[in-house]
Amino acid sequence: MNPFQYTRAVAASGAIQSVLKEPSAHFLAGGTNLIDLMKMGVVMPERLVDINGLPLKGIEKTANGLRIGALATNSEVADHPLVLESYPLLSLAINAGASPQLRNMATVGGNMMQRTRCNYFFDPAMPCNKRVPGSGCGALNGYNRMHALFGASDQCIAVNPSDMCVAMVALDAVVHVKGPKGERTIKFADFHRLPGEHPEKDNTLERGELITAVDLPASATAFNRHVEYLKIRDRSSFAFALVSVAAALSMNGTTITAARLAMGGVAHKPWRLHAAEDFLKGKTISDELFTQAAKLAMQDAKAYPYNKFKLTMAPNAILQALKTATA
Amino acid sequence: MSKKPDPPKESEAILSGSRRDFLKTSSLLSAMALTPAAVIEAAEHQWDEKFADAAEKIPVTLQVNGVSYSVKVEPRMTLLDLLREQLNLTGSKKGCDRGQCGACTVHVNGVRINSCLSLAVCNEGKKVTTIEGLATGDRLHPMQEAFIKHDGFQCGYCTSGQIMSAVALVKEGRTQSREQISEFMSGNICRCGAYSNIVKAIQEVKNNQA
Amino acid sequence: MRRDLIGDSLNRVDGRLKVTGGAKYSGEYKVPGLTYGVLVSATIANGTVTAMDTKAAERALGVLAVITPFNAPKVPGYQPGAARAARGLKLFNDNQVHFNGQPIALVVAETFERATYAATLIKTTYEKQPFETDFHKNFDKGVVPNEGRYKDYVRGEADAYKNAPVVVEQDYMLPSEMHNPMELHVTTAYWDGDAKVTLYTKSQGVMGSQRSIANAFDLDPKNVQINSRFVGGAFGSSLRTWPHEVAAVQAAKLVRRPVKLTLTREQMFTLVGYRPLTIQKIGLGASTDGKLVGITHESHSQTAVYEEFTESAVGVSRFLYASPNVNTRYKVVPLNVGVPAPMRGPGEATGSFALESALDELSYKLGIDPIELRLRNYTYTDPERNLPWSSKFLKECYQQGAERIGWDKRAAQPGTQRDGEWMVGYGIGCGAFGAYRNKASAKIKLLPDGTVNIQSATSDIGPGTGTSMTLIAADTLGIGAEKITFELGNSSFPAAPTEGGSQTCSSVGSAVHDVCIALKQKLNTLAGLPADSTTPIDYPGILQKLNLPVLELTQDSQAGEDAKNYSMYSFSAHFAQVYVHPVTGVVKVKKLVAVVDGGKIVSHKTASSQMIGGAVGGMGMVLTEEAVFDQNFGRYVNGNLADYHVPVNADVPDIEAIFIDKPDPIINPVGSKGLGEISLIGVAAAVANAVYNASGKRIRELPITPDKILMA
Repeated sequence: MNPFQYTRAVAASGAIQSVLKEPSAHFLAGGTNLIDLMKMGVVMPERLVDINGLPLKGIEKTANGLRIGALATNSEVADHPLVLESYPLLSLAINAGASPQLRNMATVGGNMMQRTRCNYFFDPAMPCNKRVPGSGCGALNGYNRMHALFGASDQCIAVNPSDMCVAMVALDAVVHVKGPKGERTIKFADFHRLPGEHPEKDNTLERGELITAVDLPASATAFNRHVEYLKIRDRSSFAFALVSVAAALSMNGTTITAARLAMGGVAHKPWRLHAAEDFLKGKTISDELFTQAAKLAMQDAKAYPYNKFKLTMAPNAILQALKTATA
Repeated sequence: MSKKPDPPKESEAILSGSRRDFLKTSSLLSAMALTPAAVIEAAEHQWDEKFADAAEKIPVTLQVNGVSYSVKVEPRMTLLDLLREQLNLTGSKKGCDRGQCGACTVHVNGVRINSCLSLAVCNEGKKVTTIEGLATGDRLHPMQEAFIKHDGFQCGYCTSGQIMSAVALVKEGRTQSREQISEFMSGNICRCGAYSNIVKAIQEVKNNQA
Repeated sequence: MRRDLIGDSLNRVDGRLKVTGGAKYSGEYKVPGLTYGVLVSATIANGTVTAMDTKAAERALGVLAVITPFNAPKVPGYQPGAARAARGLKLFNDNQVHFNGQPIALVVAETFERATYAATLIKTTYEKQPFETDFHKNFDKGVVPNEGRYKDYVRGEADAYKNAPVVVEQDYMLPSEMHNPMELHVTTAYWDGDAKVTLYTKSQGVMGSQRSIANAFDLDPKNVQINSRFVGGAFGSSLRTWPHEVAAVQAAKLVRRPVKLTLTREQMFTLVGYRPLTIQKIGLGASTDGKLVGITHESHSQTAVYEEFTESAVGVSRFLYASPNVNTRYKVVPLNVGVPAPMRGPGEATGSFALESALDELSYKLGIDPIELRLRNYTYTDPERNLPWSSKFLKECYQQGAERIGWDKRAAQPGTQRDGEWMVGYGIGCGAFGAYRNKASAKIKLLPDGTVNIQSATSDIGPGTGTSMTLIAADTLGIGAEKITFELGNSSFPAAPTEGGSQTCSSVGSAVHDVCIALKQKLNTLAGLPADSTTPIDYPGILQKLNLPVLELTQDSQAGEDAKNYSMYSFSAHFAQVYVHPVTGVVKVKKLVAVVDGGKIVSHKTASSQMIGGAVGGMGMVLTEEAVFDQNFGRYVNGNLADYHVPVNADVPDIEAIFIDKPDPIINPVGSKGLGEISLIGVAAAVANAVYNASGKRIRELPITPDKILMA
């Protein structure tokens, strides 16, 4: 790791100012991703601003739903009674990711800031436009088994590795950020971005902006009974998704009154499946229905030499997740 | 204009013996507002290494296994390396240094974490428990006894992390089923493949508590 | 008075040290003045280093030395015409780069952090050459290895299978697999003057390490002290002395301080061997009643351009089943990759996957139950060497395993059995591995308080060597195990072979047995009894009476001539019950049963663990493990424990280990054969065959990941 200056922040405004001062400075929360990236020489900040002392850990009910502080750990969120009761999809998704130890360290804000696991990104000896803009995409003509089906560009075909974020986007979460220009909110679906011409930008945060909280809307509690987070991976646990599906349904008997569907492991951002959701609405559950919904969801999918299997696995995963959620 | 830094006080000199440190890192330069000439001048004096250490290291006070330690560390030192290399508590193991194997698992304020991804400086004021702090005198922790009884290890290298994780697991109440135990022990890799014996050890401890 | 402690279930003698963090591994010794070594790895796969700018690294905080091909002190064993040449890659001796990840510099600094950072400051200029890392592209460049053991073999007629009434001919692919012991490979080295050096190093054989380091530095082996008391797993990755160990010694000499050199997990993917990528073609020909009339086994495996590695993938087909016509061919394909090394079960595990899969395919073609097919081709003598087996209870393995797994519930028609959404299947895979006994020595000390200390320069990489040796000594001496201490992992102790090839219990166990017998005889003599007397005597009483402070003996031990008249193998039969999900492609192993004929089992508890562990290794081989190259750069893309998937707890069901537990009458006084390898050999085929039985999908390219099930 490169040497760096370490600052312990006592207030959000001071932390933001500290980060703004140096172009390479980073906020440090749980560190599970950032410290790893620093060890690999992927990120070399000259200053880390430790925000763990900031009062951003709370999980509390608000008039509009549930507010989760950015520094709440993944475990705290997954185990929280209000989350388990009203947003069980989020608990399922979080517990499908990483390991218990990592979930005890990783924070909600940090999870959202998690970089891709693309091996070309992680290896400074290989080209990667996300790490070094203009250096090329090693995955495009390389080993792209773990890579995107949707929304990729010729600059970057990496996927977002988070499980938590797949549930968050399905639940229409809202992100609160604080920055040099004040506070603002970002729809979760707009928080992460597609790579386009700027794969170095994972999200729509501006320099110096700090995530302070995530709101789960009260309306999403309607999706608390029929839920499934299906993650297909190369081993039973502690592995990144080949494909994952978050499914949450609101039902009246065997009729779907509303559906929330999102996928992980298929795009540069958690991938919401609006077309499939709309299609399912008002229909009676059946394998045939789910298969058609899955087909709709796959319409714009584009595969690469090593991830063609995802064209089969992803719709299968949607079908299976819907079956389990409605069983 | 360059300003010559003051030689550090004796109390700022740290730990290891003779050293030939050169001040050449960019962050240090910007932080101390030194010109390279001044750094080289500093390096040529007797006090170079002490100065370097003092500039690079910051104080941390933390409790490990009930003992309070006040140390000075570079911010880039991990809790795991502090334990192993500086405090000589080598029970916590390094198997990947990237949070991918669990051999470094310790409890910080009662919660199991991977100490290889936690900077030592982030543990100011925290209470750390390592495998060395689990037994009470000569009396082993029940989980340690159960690991011996069920042979929950072979080479022993992942064992500290497994036991620290297992103790936390029981506390977390993640022992409702064999599947749950396995799932919530999956952050600890055992290449010798002692998993099923580890599960038996955990089940025994859980049952004895019930 | 024989108390029959052999076969007991003693707790691991070093268990307490391991559960308290008290067991010290090679990187954990507090040596005064310790410094830290970090290797810099090449980022090209072939070519030369033309220049290195090390100025920034040399001036970085805390740096003591930067060793490169341009300034490295000469290692005597690396020089042309060296009296004792060092084997393998000669680090820093020239500027050639043979593979991506090859070390090209070593930074030594005061702290780990400083060494690690300084290593990133070196700027290297290369002259790149075209490289070859693509095994499939270079398949036709395979050559017959230089090593004679693996020349083509023919018994009867070559390729006779082709003319048989029922034929199976298939290719099976196994990717490169990494040992990935949990402990990072580490060496701590320090010199005492210029003639004596001490190492704490991760080693499966301290005597071998001693020889290698003595050769490299042209030292008297007596002046090379190797310590390796606790080894955090190895599985073959520490069978030899690696170039980085030599580099640590070289660096310690240069900085005149102790140096601890630890490989990163990523570096372990290229620097400490692996099970090589192998493609095998099996041809089986049988009569309609299931008698094998021909077996042909061909294997191509990857090796390094700078060093040849061979292993016995094809060997298993020569002797495991009766067939009048057998031929094998074996080629290696040299590539710009690190050199492989034997990995648990080595070539036999690779070969068994192919042979046992093909046999399973044949069973379906014939419509004969896979166990019945094996019984119809059972051999009562070794058909390769034309010798009787010293012992063989493989039939008993089939029977007991079938009972325990519930073989009677297996559907003969694949893809027909369900449990809810899941498809259910059963499979068998068998293995054999040579049972060896090599020369070993042990020293015994009896003290007047009745305690016994035994020393031998063997290792314990996890099987519980100390525990089984303690049981053999306790049994032979007729005293309690708590009175015995067994010490290992020190090159000053009496010589013992490297812990590999499943031979430790047999070889060192014999030395321990023999030294205990020698002690008893000596005590009998001192007591005025015939040496072979079985009258119980009071051991410490004799010492006290004769006023002896200690009674000490060293005994060499080796196999008798009679062993040459037998073929000696351990055998195993593995059984798997698996669930396959038709929609997600997920495979769950629900149950594994490992039945083994490993001769007399010395230490039941640790032997069971060893069997379970081998089964988990086999599960990784068949379901999850694969080291993947990017062929554009010739670099691994998954060289870490997040992306290279060794099994985790949630992958592994309860595994049943069953021992036939009948002593082999020939191999050694205890009758133990060996377990380390056969615990793994056969597991991959058992699971792959069960996947076929469940799903009707025959996956011949490992690992069987969900995508392969869906796309098959």
